Amino acid sequence: MKLNEWMVKPTPQTEWIQGRGILLWLAFFFIELGAGIFFVATFFGNLWAMLIGWLVCGVIGGGVHILYLGHPFRFWRMVRKPGSSWISRGLIFVSLFLILGLIQMAVVSGGGSSLVLTILVDILAFLTIVYGGFAMNCVNGIPLWNTALLPILYAVSGIWGGASVALGIALGTGAASTIGVSLEEWIRLLLIAYIGLIIVYFISVRYTNLTGKVSVQGIVSGEYWPLMWFGVVLIGLVIPIAVVVISLGTGIENMSAAVLYIAILCELVGDITMRYLILKDGLYSPLIASSAYAP
Amino acid sequence: MRLGMVIDRKRCIGCYACMISCKQSHALPPEVFWNRVLISETGTYPTVTKQILPVICNHCEEAACVAVCPTGATEKREDGIVWIDADKCVGCRYCLIACPYQMRTYHSDNKKEYWPGQGLSELESFGRETFYPLQPKTVVKCNFCMERLEEGQRNGLQIGIDREATPVCVNACPVKARTFGDLNDPNSNVSILIKERKGYSLHPEYGTEPSVHYLD
Repeated sequence: MKLNEWMVKPTPQTEWIQGRGILLWLAFFFIELGAGIFFVATFFGNLWAMLIGWLVCGVIGGGVHILYLGHPFRFWRMVRKPGSSWISRGLIFVSLFLILGLIQMAVVSGGGSSLVLTILVDILAFLTIVYGGFAMNCVNGIPLWNTALLPILYAVSGIWGGASVALGIALGTGAASTIGVSLEEWIRLLLIAYIGLIIVYFISVRYTNLTGKVSVQGIVSGEYWPLMWFGVVLIGLVIPIAVVVISLGTGIENMSAAVLYIAILCELVGDITMRYLILKDGLYSPLIASSAYAP
Repeated sequence: MRLGMVIDRKRCIGCYACMISCKQSHALPPEVFWNRVLISETGTYPTVTKQILPVICNHCEEAACVAVCPTGATEKREDGIVWIDADKCVGCRYCLIACPYQMRTYHSDNKKEYWPGQGLSELESFGRETFYPLQPKTVVKCNFCMERLEEGQRNGLQIGIDREATPVCVNACPVKARTFGDLNDPNSNVSILIKERKGYSLHPEYGTEPSVHYLD
């Protein structure tokens, strides 16, 4: 792009996906996935899933997020503007979630339970799942992000991913016979919700403005169509749908663990790919009109 | 007081003097621009119009960058200037993403050379280490030459009127396309221009209330 051509047509954001920006993509994914795993695990009292969710969220996601910063050792300053900044709020949510999550796990491991604590942790886990979506939602220069559907999409994908991984953990720890059926119900409903949301999301952004149209076209039929149709649709949706359909016939308890693990992996690949596309194809509306810009 | 700028697009000839003077006076490294001149074409042959749009930070009244900054590094001063306290900036780049005008830059490397492979020249070194040091791994942007304005005010000069109390890009423009002054003063040069020539700002639908206005 020539210097004087910058922002004369829809211009992609780069700081949150290129170079070190890749770390932020991974950070949002792992933070939301980890919180989703913990969130689902609290409903079934699965301590292993809680622990793994906590580690994925706090250690992997949080660690990668801090690594992304230009000055990582100043990260503690990021809690200073919760009144207006979603990143500030997010750090508070994540921090409180991790602290209370640790207490929750200690209580559960000791054989105890506290409804108040569980509710509080679940609220914080949910807020941790959605804060990234809201942080992107308030960027009004990028039509692909500036939609109320984005936080909802991230909430559903976070919980769906959490439920899938929790199922995988249950399979690995021998708890599948007790909670596998319930988890599969969650996964089916969330899968349907996710598909519906993706469709509505793209349709709604497509009609926002010209930049929104270009963004959606870029993902669906433009430069990024292979990632969309192979990564998100084929791997991330078709394969999990096929496994769900099979499980409806045979029952989850009769399904091969290998098939279920493949479905879980495919779901995660689809989820992370979708997040990559949303970040990569986040286009700013141009500052100056240009006839050279043609969708 | 609300400092602002008016840019007359009818006068602007796209000479880049504003961009170059800003670069020079702030010793900006490669790929860091606080002033830009955008050029495009609209229409189809034979009725094609060349569009030239100089852009800088709009120092918005309802700045998105101020709202999203998690550390409070980006602040709006009483005189309307939106500035960045580099010592508080963590480099999360949320402000950069949130700015709908994309007028912020992440300053990643203080050692980047204008002549690759030759090391920093004496001028580059002086500029970045002494004259106008920028903290690496923070976000930087136009600050309406606030140090210059403050110095001018201390010396009893009038902002936007006396050259030593006016941003360098305003002074550098050979066709006097830029005017700088107090938008809250209805009798200021900028306010009169906006009123008489129907000045407008970029993307008003974002609700940012920019302090930079344009005249056609």
